[in-house]
Amino acid sequence: MRLSGQKSLDLALKIFHNPKLNSENITPRFMYFGKLKLDEDVFEECLMVYFKAPFSYTGEDIVEFQIHGGVLLAQKVVEVCLKAGARMAEPGEYSKRAFLNGKITLDKAEAIIGEINAETEGELKSSLQITNGNLAEKILVEQEKLKTMLAEIEVGMDYPDETEELGLKLNTLERLQEIQNNLNSIIEQSASATYLKNGINVALVGKTNVGKSSVLNAFLGEDRAIVTDIKGTTRDSITESFIYKGIKINLIDTAGIRETEDIVENIGIEKSKKNLNSADIILFVLDGSEEKTDEDILIESLLKEKRFITVINKADKKRILQKQQNEIEISALTNKNIDKLKQMIVDLVITEEIDANSLVLTNERHLQILKDACAIIDEIINTNVLSLDIISMLVKKLWQTLGKITGNTENEDIINLIFSKFCLGK
Amino acid sequence: MKKEIEQFDSIVIGAGHAGCEAALALSRTGNKTLLLTLSLDAIAFLACNPSIGGTAKGQLVGEIDALGGEMGRNADKTAIQIRMLNRGKGPAVQSLRAQADKNAYHEEMKKTLEKEKNLFVRQGEVDKVELDGEYKIIITRLGLMYKAKSVVFATGVYLKSEIIIGECRENVGPNGFKNSSKLSDSLSALGIKLLRFKTGTPMRLHARSVEYNKMELQLGDNGIMPFSFMTEGRVENKAVCYLTYTTPETHEIIRKNLDKAPAISGEIKGIGPRYCPSIETKVVRFADKDRHQLFLEPEALNTQEIYLQGFSTSMPADIQKEMLHSVVGMEKAEIMRDAYAIEYDCIDPTQLKPTLELKTIEGLFFAGQINGTSGYEEAGAQGLIAGINASLYNQNKEQLILKRSDAYIGVLIDDIVTKGTNEPYRMMTSRAEYRLLLRQDNADMRLTEIGRNIGLVDDERWQKFQAKKGKMAKIEQKLETKVKVDEKLSNLCKENDENVPKESIKLRDLMRRNNIDIYKLDKTYGLFDETEKSLLEFVNINIKYEGYLKQQQEDVEKMLANENVTIPDEFEYTNLKGLRKEAIEKLSQIRPLNLGQASRISGVSPADISVLSILVKKFKEK
Repeated sequence: MRLSGQKSLDLALKIFHNPKLNSENITPRFMYFGKLKLDEDVFEECLMVYFKAPFSYTGEDIVEFQIHGGVLLAQKVVEVCLKAGARMAEPGEYSKRAFLNGKITLDKAEAIIGEINAETEGELKSSLQITNGNLAEKILVEQEKLKTMLAEIEVGMDYPDETEELGLKLNTLERLQEIQNNLNSIIEQSASATYLKNGINVALVGKTNVGKSSVLNAFLGEDRAIVTDIKGTTRDSITESFIYKGIKINLIDTAGIRETEDIVENIGIEKSKKNLNSADIILFVLDGSEEKTDEDILIESLLKEKRFITVINKADKKRILQKQQNEIEISALTNKNIDKLKQMIVDLVITEEIDANSLVLTNERHLQILKDACAIIDEIINTNVLSLDIISMLVKKLWQTLGKITGNTENEDIINLIFSKFCLGK
Repeated sequence: MKKEIEQFDSIVIGAGHAGCEAALALSRTGNKTLLLTLSLDAIAFLACNPSIGGTAKGQLVGEIDALGGEMGRNADKTAIQIRMLNRGKGPAVQSLRAQADKNAYHEEMKKTLEKEKNLFVRQGEVDKVELDGEYKIIITRLGLMYKAKSVVFATGVYLKSEIIIGECRENVGPNGFKNSSKLSDSLSALGIKLLRFKTGTPMRLHARSVEYNKMELQLGDNGIMPFSFMTEGRVENKAVCYLTYTTPETHEIIRKNLDKAPAISGEIKGIGPRYCPSIETKVVRFADKDRHQLFLEPEALNTQEIYLQGFSTSMPADIQKEMLHSVVGMEKAEIMRDAYAIEYDCIDPTQLKPTLELKTIEGLFFAGQINGTSGYEEAGAQGLIAGINASLYNQNKEQLILKRSDAYIGVLIDDIVTKGTNEPYRMMTSRAEYRLLLRQDNADMRLTEIGRNIGLVDDERWQKFQAKKGKMAKIEQKLETKVKVDEKLSNLCKENDENVPKESIKLRDLMRRNNIDIYKLDKTYGLFDETEKSLLEFVNINIKYEGYLKQQQEDVEKMLANENVTIPDEFEYTNLKGLRKEAIEKLSQIRPLNLGQASRISGVSPADISVLSILVKKFKEK
């Protein structure tokens, strides 16, 4: 993972934590150990190297992070960097910058141009796929809505005398909320596509002796498919995987469970949180034959705002525990409801039915763009007392953000729409 | 016998809104300047609306003023009603509009021109331009010859103009003024590509024949800041406007007579502006609307003539009358001047550099409607820039280009020279991507210093500007002080539905609260004296909008990264490898000055710009 540009170091130090390190005392080309802040209270250990301009590949300040393997983790780190103010590199941009900064000689220019064009073409192909696909049409529909909205806001500003009847009946916020909902569902569908590729990560949590390992064994049963080369998953954290109806299900951090139940007691809150965070779904295992203990309640408190299923084990015994939210009763002993649980996992994570051949947004850059768009809508909706000029500025930014996928953001389009929709002028 | 050729530093052709600004900019920066006009009676003639400003245009006037131009001052001197548009929609889009006394506007501008010692104003029709080494020779209809190093063409809509009313076509200019019949051929002969555009104007009525009691009254706003930084006091509202509507009957008459409408029947071939459609175009294109707004604007204080905005047409005169009488309150209206459409020659503006100098011939500058734009303010803005650059050209100095992030003027010129236009171009706030930065209220902050460096901002304005800056700094300083948590503060917060801070707080931070602004602070704490009070709005905007201003500033910096990579004049686009054919064609046609301009050409993709950046660097290193 690399950052290049003037502000790389500042940005890196915002997310990389090493108590002794700051921008003054950092030594270029030294490797530092520290933690990347992935979320509130969630850290990932990693190594960082700083290359000071001009002694770097691009000739600019570069920071490199060396992280554990895995697409999901990589995606998370990218996300964190973007949030901190970085942006994704354009096709061939690193080589281009290296060239522009004199790090690559003139005779390489042709090769770099080739690289840019090839990568652009690649992106184009994937956007072409997108424009054929269902999702892309949906993005275009949202973008058209934004365009109409912009035209309606703008026309009122450019022709205040002629558009009084239009007034402020724009319902901007309601309309934006609807667009956001639609974008979110596109993101979810795309996330589903990611699951198709990488599998669903499932974490098992529960107090000691509740029967996690037997649940695990019941899961693996005949479907056991020991994973040797899972692209995009860390070997450290995933020990077991199995395939259910063509979808890979990865069980996160089960090593300890298999060895000895006692270790669970040693897993601190910190580690549990981390595990919970890297999971797409959590199975919270409870013993159906007894009331909830303090330990159960403590674990439950960690699951707030997470997606989880309450698995009531020991269905072969008498049920004492009260009915839980989103629960399923299983018996690891008799295999009761194990398949049903697998189906529940798949249903919950993959919200819409997707067949593996459908065209979906698998490009991380595009996914990020949709997330950016939703963040802009949040900004508009959550800030009070925005004047119309600011709203229009943000809506325009939103429209242009989606345009990075669809390519449709000629300002002239808005003006054309203004004149085709409204009767204006002296 | 060899003819005498009178020599000037610069010659300006045309004394409309572009020509006047160009001539004043040139003469005020020390150039002996000749201003030629077809008619001295048409200097700064308000050929259409008797008004200055409006959305986006108010910003242009503010910018002209800050650079030391004349339009703002002239509008203030002659305004008879003034309004602030878009109040309540945020500071970025607020614009001034004034009804100007059409006669006074012309007279005041003429007086100003006549006072300028380096400026020679003369009536005469230019027929021909010839090149003579570094000089340009101008030949008039009467055979008089003038030469100068630089020439500004500001001929407005007069090149081979034709006025069309029904079947009647006449080779005249606006309002029946004489047109220019030969100059556009001379421009063609120099290899300049011409376009043919059209526009139009509504009829003028006699005030006594209008039943105002059937219409809505439109009053001016009181206590509004004038256009010009140099105007003391406020504009007094001396006139009123009215609003009325067309009726279904009007539309019926128009539909019945469409075959007689030159704009619809195909008789008029010139391309008209979408934002200024004739009433017949509106009725055809928006058939579902059962009425259209019409505004009545007084032409001047000393006349009964009324301008009827929204009713521009090229219908035959008798049908115009019938149409008019079907409008609410116009049943007995007397027409004094008929509405007409006008067709004219202009140049394709992509032939110009962003300095408004012709790419192919040094020292020839173009400004105003000849560049395919529309509007007095757009013309004035270009005239000023063309005048400034002709002056800098004469002095062999680097010419002025305002960037899109500097001014609406920059957006306007960049748009027309980079993208061209297929209809008369009108400035709109939607065209400016950094409009939060390009406000009317900060035009002086953005541009006065540039005007000073050019020599158009005199000592008086400069001192006044410095004084203003000093006062603003003082206001900002006062906002740095902390206030204690006392009854005053808690009352202020409670009254405005804000939480009372737990410890003492800077006034500036208090201002960031949603419901508290600089005025409320002043009311509570009595912070500012009278002279400071007039400047509070500006400081208020700067603090309340800080985050968004910063966002736009960051966008600007991203844009400037490309803007700062120049493309050498000698850079050859043909035979380039790696660029798409379409991009090569467009780039070699426009010949952008830098990567930024290149990126705004339609048909040039971000990948093309990436590739171009490499090719340009390679070229420079060779």
